[in-house]
Amino acid sequence: MAVPDSKKTEDQKDWDACLASIAVSNSEAFADFFNHFAPLIKSFAFSGSSMSAIHADELVQEVMIKVWQKAAAFDPKKASATTWLYAVARNCRTDLYRKLRKFDTPLTAEDLMIEEESQEAFDLLQIKRNAETIREKLQALPNEQRQVIAKIYMEGKSHSEVSAELDLPLGTVKSRVRLAINKLGVQLAPTGDSHD
Amino acid sequence: MIKHHPDVNLLVDYVSGNISPAKAGCISTHNSYCGICRKTTFQLETLGAELLKDLESPPVHNSTFDSVLARLENSPQGQSESLNCKQESFPLVLKKLMSKEFEDLEWRKVTSALSVSRLHTGDLKHECALYQIAAGGKIPEHDHKGVEMTVVISGGFSDRQGVYHKGDFIFREKDQIHAPTALESEDCICLAVSDAPLRFTDWRYRWMNPFLRFSAG
Repeated sequence: MAVPDSKKTEDQKDWDACLASIAVSNSEAFADFFNHFAPLIKSFAFSGSSMSAIHADELVQEVMIKVWQKAAAFDPKKASATTWLYAVARNCRTDLYRKLRKFDTPLTAEDLMIEEESQEAFDLLQIKRNAETIREKLQALPNEQRQVIAKIYMEGKSHSEVSAELDLPLGTVKSRVRLAINKLGVQLAPTGDSHD
Repeated sequence: MIKHHPDVNLLVDYVSGNISPAKAGCISTHNSYCGICRKTTFQLETLGAELLKDLESPPVHNSTFDSVLARLENSPQGQSESLNCKQESFPLVLKKLMSKEFEDLEWRKVTSALSVSRLHTGDLKHECALYQIAAGGKIPEHDHKGVEMTVVISGGFSDRQGVYHKGDFIFREKDQIHAPTALESEDCICLAVSDAPLRFTDWRYRWMNPFLRFSAG
């Protein structure tokens, strides 16, 4: 791509501050945010390849409207700007898919993913360290694991859809996901029922 | 202390948006009780953000930005709705699923110990319902044609595989037969989502199977 790697070195805090400006209706900040993230959202819409160009454009619009309307709810103590945006984009994409498939539900994706306010807000430092660890380890992930993770997250495919597409047993897809998540250092609840 | 959690594959499907509405509601209900899974979910979302950042950046036409501005001008300022949370006992997502107050739900009495209230999620492939089991009451032995997810909302129950309390998430595979019994201390309320209707396997209750089909109600 023509654009140099400046994006990779972007400071996440800038986007946190940018969202804070959008929250107080700063339209310049909104334009900056749009210019940087709209292309990524467009890619996110396309990567499932089941959306035509028109719907990709619709998704970009939906996401950016939500960004403007909900920026005030963004709390940098709870998430980085990109993690927040990922959740917004995912919810908008889910709603758009459902709308296109005429899946009639009274509940939005956001409604269904509300998790009660956590008492133990994560601290900023931990959030940053977390993202850094995940970023570093993501680069080191074996291709076959990264491919499966990318298909699920970016292309919006379920484990079984990935298994059909790659002609792999479902169990293999599941174990690749588990291996990848372990390698990324994501902490999981203990499994098994043995202890109190 | 919550001891039963959704596995990582389920959480990944949840975080990536690849799960039906009713099942997503079930997992976020569990997460509302469970700090551990909330944290996992958060880390999995961070992974989503990292993958998003790595995507290509195809050009976006200026007209898209103009359309956004035009739409924002025409829409009333997005006020975040203020849900009054007087019912402290239920997670917000469950209130959304119920769409009305708990007291106003319609319950169908299935046995003297079991009442069921179906929740409308628009999800035709899955049944989503609240189950109320009287303290010490037993649900007749049953199995499912599909998988079943259950979250304990209040009280607790036990079956052959274990004892479950508030917030616990239970996943049952297809054709696993079980006969949950509510704990003696209090009534048990559970949220459950299943791929297909449960069927009573105990011959004494089989006659009730037609009544469990919700489609009429």
